Amino acid sequence: MFYPKLAWTNIKKNGKTYIPYILTGILTIMMLYVMIAISLNTGLDQMEGSNVLKLILRWAATITGIFSAIFLFYTNSFLVKQRKKEFGLYQVLGMDKGNLAKMMVWETVLTTVISLLMGLGLGMLLGKLMFLILLKMLRFEVPLKFAVEPQAMLATMIVFLAVFTVTLLFNLLQVQTAKPVELLHGGSQGEKEPKTKRLLTLIGVLTLGAGYYIAQTTVSPLEAIGKFFMAVILVIIGTYCLFTAGSIALLKILKKNKKFYYKTSHFTSVSGLIYRMKQNAVGLANICIMSTVVLVLISVTFSLYAGMEDILSLRFPSDVHVTIQGSSQEKIDTENQVIEEEAEKAGVEIENRSSYRSGTFTAIYKEKEAKLLLEEDSDISNETANFRTLVIIPLSDYNRLEGKKESLDKDQVLVIVQGDEFDSDTIYLQDEGFAVKKVMKDTRKTKDELSYVVKSIILVMPDADKIAELKKTYGYEGSDQIIYTDYFDLSGSGDAKESVMASIQKRLTAEIPESFTEYKGAFRQDFYALYGGFLFLGVFVGALFIMATVLIIYYKQISEGYDDRNRYQIMQKVGMSKKEVQRSIKSQVLLVFFLPLLVAIVHVAFAFKTITKLLAIMNLVNIHLFLMCTIATVLIFAVFYGVVFLITSREYYRIVQ
Amino acid sequence: MSLLDVKNVKKIYTTRFGGSQVQALSDVTFSIESGEFVAIMGESGSGKTTLLNILASLDKPTGGKVYLKGRDLGSIRDREMAAFRRQNLGFVFQDFNLLDTFSLEDNIYLPLVLAGKKYEEMNRKLEPIAQKLGITELLKKFPYEVSGGQKQRAAVARALITKPQLILADEPTGALDSRASDDLMELFTQINQDGQTILMVTHSVKAASNANRVLFIKDGEVFHQIYRGNLTNEEMYQKIAASLTVLTTGGDR
Repeated sequence: MFYPKLAWTNIKKNGKTYIPYILTGILTIMMLYVMIAISLNTGLDQMEGSNVLKLILRWAATITGIFSAIFLFYTNSFLVKQRKKEFGLYQVLGMDKGNLAKMMVWETVLTTVISLLMGLGLGMLLGKLMFLILLKMLRFEVPLKFAVEPQAMLATMIVFLAVFTVTLLFNLLQVQTAKPVELLHGGSQGEKEPKTKRLLTLIGVLTLGAGYYIAQTTVSPLEAIGKFFMAVILVIIGTYCLFTAGSIALLKILKKNKKFYYKTSHFTSVSGLIYRMKQNAVGLANICIMSTVVLVLISVTFSLYAGMEDILSLRFPSDVHVTIQGSSQEKIDTENQVIEEEAEKAGVEIENRSSYRSGTFTAIYKEKEAKLLLEEDSDISNETANFRTLVIIPLSDYNRLEGKKESLDKDQVLVIVQGDEFDSDTIYLQDEGFAVKKVMKDTRKTKDELSYVVKSIILVMPDADKIAELKKTYGYEGSDQIIYTDYFDLSGSGDAKESVMASIQKRLTAEIPESFTEYKGAFRQDFYALYGGFLFLGVFVGALFIMATVLIIYYKQISEGYDDRNRYQIMQKVGMSKKEVQRSIKSQVLLVFFLPLLVAIVHVAFAFKTITKLLAIMNLVNIHLFLMCTIATVLIFAVFYGVVFLITSREYYRIVQ
Repeated sequence: MSLLDVKNVKKIYTTRFGGSQVQALSDVTFSIESGEFVAIMGESGSGKTTLLNILASLDKPTGGKVYLKGRDLGSIRDREMAAFRRQNLGFVFQDFNLLDTFSLEDNIYLPLVLAGKKYEEMNRKLEPIAQKLGITELLKKFPYEVSGGQKQRAAVARALITKPQLILADEPTGALDSRASDDLMELFTQINQDGQTILMVTHSVKAASNANRVLFIKDGEVFHQIYRGNLTNEEMYQKIAASLTVLTTGGDR
């Protein structure tokens, strides 16, 4: 029992450094557990769009995992540095390295057990609490039940056992390879001036540039999904490299410039910053990444929530939307009859009605050859930029819909493009050519639902039979027929309208089994559940990241305070006035703490374009709204950051003076 | 007029909650002429360090006055104090007090940079001093890369570079081995012969035997003083040792 006891006393004695460390462990374990648990939540599957949500959560969990590991390492290295003298003393007093290793293993066991127990416990409690708050906050039923997820617990435990084991190995290596005398002086040994790491700086510049480039050049929303994650990884790598190596490289260049360097206001700041960056670069990069995540998460989820009505009207341009597979005249007549009967019965008018038959295909657009590939086996995943939705409409329906009097010969087509250029005389569907009579840029009514995600090409053909034939040849199984689409609004408002829509849906579903009816009202609630859930998650995850950020900032200020104290005392002795000392401290501390925030804002600015594409997939195209939400989030976050800074820097000054 | 005049300086420390009072200096009076090399000796707790802190204007006396070139240190406002200290005083400390974030060169420049001097000017000033102290080769190194004696030389260079009226040295040989101590004292003698006034607080009889005059402090007062006259270092050493014996065995004045 000697070693566990000794280890316990050590942890208690080093409370000042161990408590933040354990706290960090608990907090990150809690975060990771809650995140994985939510992503595994089975109730989530009932939510519309849960796939996207789960994907986001999985990314968030991965990033949390990586971040936890880095952050614990960072905290741990500080811990070991502080305790080197103690380890040296134990060796001087007669412990051999084996004994020391045993003691350190026990210390790690204790901290790991405490962190895991408290972290998972709090994770379960907080997870439940958060979901209770969510239910209250949204004021309607959300299909989420937050249960204990053994799988999430296991995953969290594995991740953190690995992290703690690696830190232990790192600590053991440090002690094993050092001589007792070195350990005794370890804490006070002057740190070497960091070297300029050109390669790492270059990697940083390249990865960050590549990440920004991808974020800027992503055009299609479908592309954005895959590439966004890649850009995120690249930017993270770039951020770490530039904070660790790039900052030092820049400072060294400043130092080489003698005119700049030997100025009262720059002299102490530049040399101080070099060391500060050496010790704190990783922590600052952490803060930067986390701030970026917080900003993106909150602004995205908030704008989704705030833009809900926009999303609804985009997703449902009309009150009711009916589609029928296979457009026989008989079915169309039945549908028409049902709608008119129900509308009459309730005394509401049918307005803005537009109906048409169409065949929809997924296609790969070969611009050079003016060709659309319709084969199922064409590899779509590599061609996301050329991915198109092809909609073919019979001429008669088109003329009725648009109120035009176009005429076409056999094998002639009208081409309507959206966002593409088209100037060929012939358009090929697979290998079959059609003469192009006219190319048009926009249509009034045949707006495709997915038009913001995938570009559409609309063809108008003289003959519906030809469309049916094409559909038979190229359509996927189960959707190899022409579709009849019918949109309309209903006059009036409130419950009466809702009930008409409900009964239309009911009758149509019963009388025409091939039909599918949606109406706005039924979806409003689902949407609130989905985007309310998103907002909740954004705020929840954001809050967790902010907590971690606060902890890092606080921790850094304290540890830096002890390091800097000695330095400033010397400067005062050599003839620096208190005011000069304060000014120097202030400029360094300000720069160091607001640098991550500034970089985070730059990250967000570069990510903006890609995020708008991702939002388009979720039917939010109101860029102005998103911009406002982002700016508001940045402002609020900056204020919060500033407050944290003010509070912690007071502690810092207290230590230094 | 003397360079430094210390008149009836008294210092009483009060414990934090105003309980007991400790008298560090009861009544210290002495003066130093320009060009002197004075050592102050005394046992631990005799008030040496307190006295030096007051002379360095890092601390204020409870009573009495300190004049540097006729100017009352107590009359200098806090705002000007740092600049005054920078211009008139040079410091050499027991633990060197070099900043480990600076190379030796930058450490030496520190007071000049604080005074807003240009790089070319600083560099011009540094060269002869570095040569005299034998640290020209070491200028680009960092404090943790050089020996204690070399660190102390850099600290001396830092004190000299502003051409101060007075160098205050607090146990400058305290952290050095005997060889490095001898070298440093030789250096002090040399710069003193070049006209630099030095006031050194020390424990070491060997170090003090290099001075022109030795003041002994006991119980917060100047108890005794010895002038070198024509004595050699060895004779001076004997005399100081004898005085210390009297001092510690508690003889009257």
